[in-house]
Amino acid sequence: MQVFFILGIPFVLAISALLIKNRKILGLLNCLGYLAVLFFSTVLLKQIALSEGTRAYLGFIYLDTLSVFFILVTSVVALAVALYSIGYLKKDIEEGRISERKSRIYYLLFNLFCCSMFVVPAVNNLGILWVAIEMTTLLSAFLVGFYNTKKSIEAAWKYIIICSVGIIFALLGTILFSYAFSISGLSKSLNWSDIVPVAHILDKDILKIAFIFILVGYGTKAGLAPMHTWLPDAHSQAPAPISALLSGVLLKMAIYAILRFGIITIKGVGFAYFSNLMILLGVVSLVISSGFILVQKDFKRLLAYSSIEHIGIIAIGFGLGTPLAVAGAALHVFNHAVAKSLMFFGAGNIVGVYKKHNLNAIRGVIKVLPFTGIAVLIGVFVLTGFPPFSLFVSEMMIIISAFTNGSYLVGALLLLFLAVIFGGFIYHFGKMLFGNLPKGMTRAQEPLSTKIAFIFLFFPVCALGITLLFINKDWLWLAQRLLQR
Amino acid sequence: MKEIILLGILISTYFMIIAKRMPALIRSFRYQSFFLFLATFVIAWGEDQPDLYIICGLLFIIKVSLIPYLLYRITNKIKAGQDLGLIVNSQLSLLCALGFTYLAWIFSAHLFSDLNQAMVSILAVAFFMVLTGLFLMISRMTALAQVVGLLVMENGLFLLASTVSGGMPFFVEIAIFFDVFISVVIMGFFVYRINKLFTHIDVDKLSHLRG
Repeated sequence: MQVFFILGIPFVLAISALLIKNRKILGLLNCLGYLAVLFFSTVLLKQIALSEGTRAYLGFIYLDTLSVFFILVTSVVALAVALYSIGYLKKDIEEGRISERKSRIYYLLFNLFCCSMFVVPAVNNLGILWVAIEMTTLLSAFLVGFYNTKKSIEAAWKYIIICSVGIIFALLGTILFSYAFSISGLSKSLNWSDIVPVAHILDKDILKIAFIFILVGYGTKAGLAPMHTWLPDAHSQAPAPISALLSGVLLKMAIYAILRFGIITIKGVGFAYFSNLMILLGVVSLVISSGFILVQKDFKRLLAYSSIEHIGIIAIGFGLGTPLAVAGAALHVFNHAVAKSLMFFGAGNIVGVYKKHNLNAIRGVIKVLPFTGIAVLIGVFVLTGFPPFSLFVSEMMIIISAFTNGSYLVGALLLLFLAVIFGGFIYHFGKMLFGNLPKGMTRAQEPLSTKIAFIFLFFPVCALGITLLFINKDWLWLAQRLLQR
Repeated sequence: MKEIILLGILISTYFMIIAKRMPALIRSFRYQSFFLFLATFVIAWGEDQPDLYIICGLLFIIKVSLIPYLLYRITNKIKAGQDLGLIVNSQLSLLCALGFTYLAWIFSAHLFSDLNQAMVSILAVAFFMVLTGLFLMISRMTALAQVVGLLVMENGLFLLASTVSGGMPFFVEIAIFFDVFISVVIMGFFVYRINKLFTHIDVDKLSHLRG
């Protein structure tokens, strides 16, 4: 039942953005709404993940642990974005970058965007899944081009065209899956819950080709290299809260779609096929992104390339496929969503004060924005997988399982590139955060809602990192069992 | 009958490849959609499915009437946007298209070896359309041509879906139609914006964002 609230609340909020004129009330309403969504999705996770059961409503909605997990990730980031948006929009309006009316359009689009992202993991039908993912592209294109500058419109156009082409290939893949299903002599259907039980009798060749199309199609949307070209543009030009949503959740929705089809492929063709493709794309993403991170000059593009890196790590984790690696990859999905939102919020505050993206031109952030500066400093350590934060735990889980699984090359590459990226991040951010107060700048004010958003996001990455280390008996037991295999 | 319709789709796609100006491209797209409509109508007639008639109607309203109308309107408003800006000239494009036809044929014959010849030729045309759409998007400079390329790919997939798997489930089909229509409207909006900000719609020159 909770799932209807989760789908309904963003929709109601979108309508309220049309009706309510007062921006402050609207902002508060959004926060309360997403708090409720977070509550309902936690309840849902507790009910479904712990009982290992599934829920289906009307043949249209199908929930299992995978989908509930992705709903939870979305709702955490959505609440943080709702909190952060209050201060962000206020500043934008005060500086005359957008009008009051446009802030309402922002809330309308933001809520519709969230709504479509909640639909993605909830639907049963793979065709509707495709439509929902295409809707996320169309709705967020307006948000990417929100400031209506040359650069942002260019980014939005590239985003909408590249993702639409990509997603057309995903539709081709979906059609081939449904073809494989229909020639197996069963009644025609695109429902995931109908296809999975018979996956092992489907035509292997068609499944293989179909999965390639799915991987190229949704992989484009997920930002897997070499189909990632839209991502740095869109992430760097969108308003900071939207960048957080794009990077934190939108990419994961495409990963979710790949996993749904991947499960069918694994059952039909065998695990090695899925595994090799995912690991290949993951490693390519890691290599390409680390190169761009080292030479990057633009602050927000740096974070965008870091998203490609983390998507690569997630792909490798799911590709390795041992229980430890899959648990690690799932945890990494959550961790990256939280950590990257944190960093984009920080970036939004910094760019808001300094009015530039250039890494070499920004100095002394901690003196100008003490709270944000320290938050970003910790965020850098969170994002690069430093203990005791939970990204360290999830990355270690993936690396350990790469080595225990015999994929030494993958493990070594992971370690190497993580080290390179860590170095790159420390180099770039060290210069930026420390240093003297720049000329003509004074300490800037930081809105309360922004601070609350930071603290809200810090809580899970710290808590999970620390508590998971304390209950590591379970993980060690799992790892040992893998070693004995 | 089916062969003639298929030939119509093929020829209209070839027309798109050699078109140098926007109105010609849109006209050929309209023909292509019309032949697609006929093909669906024939299937609906043969199988006597009420669902398919509705999809036929939607196809006619959205792809034969509304979308070409919208595209014409945008082209007329943006005077600069009439020329397609061919990166690959017509002759070479035609050669590429011949190559695509062959590739699509080989691919579909290989993939669906258990089907009869008629089915394989439909699939070949469908894959050909997907390839051509992609080619149009890459080798034409203007933003509007990219939108048309996307639509051609979508048309190809529609043909593929309606023949291969006997059509998608009804509401999925409706949702996809809706989605395509919305995407054309939104892309049209962005084409306006690009034209207003940059005073041209050459995608080739959209190169502010690098690295």
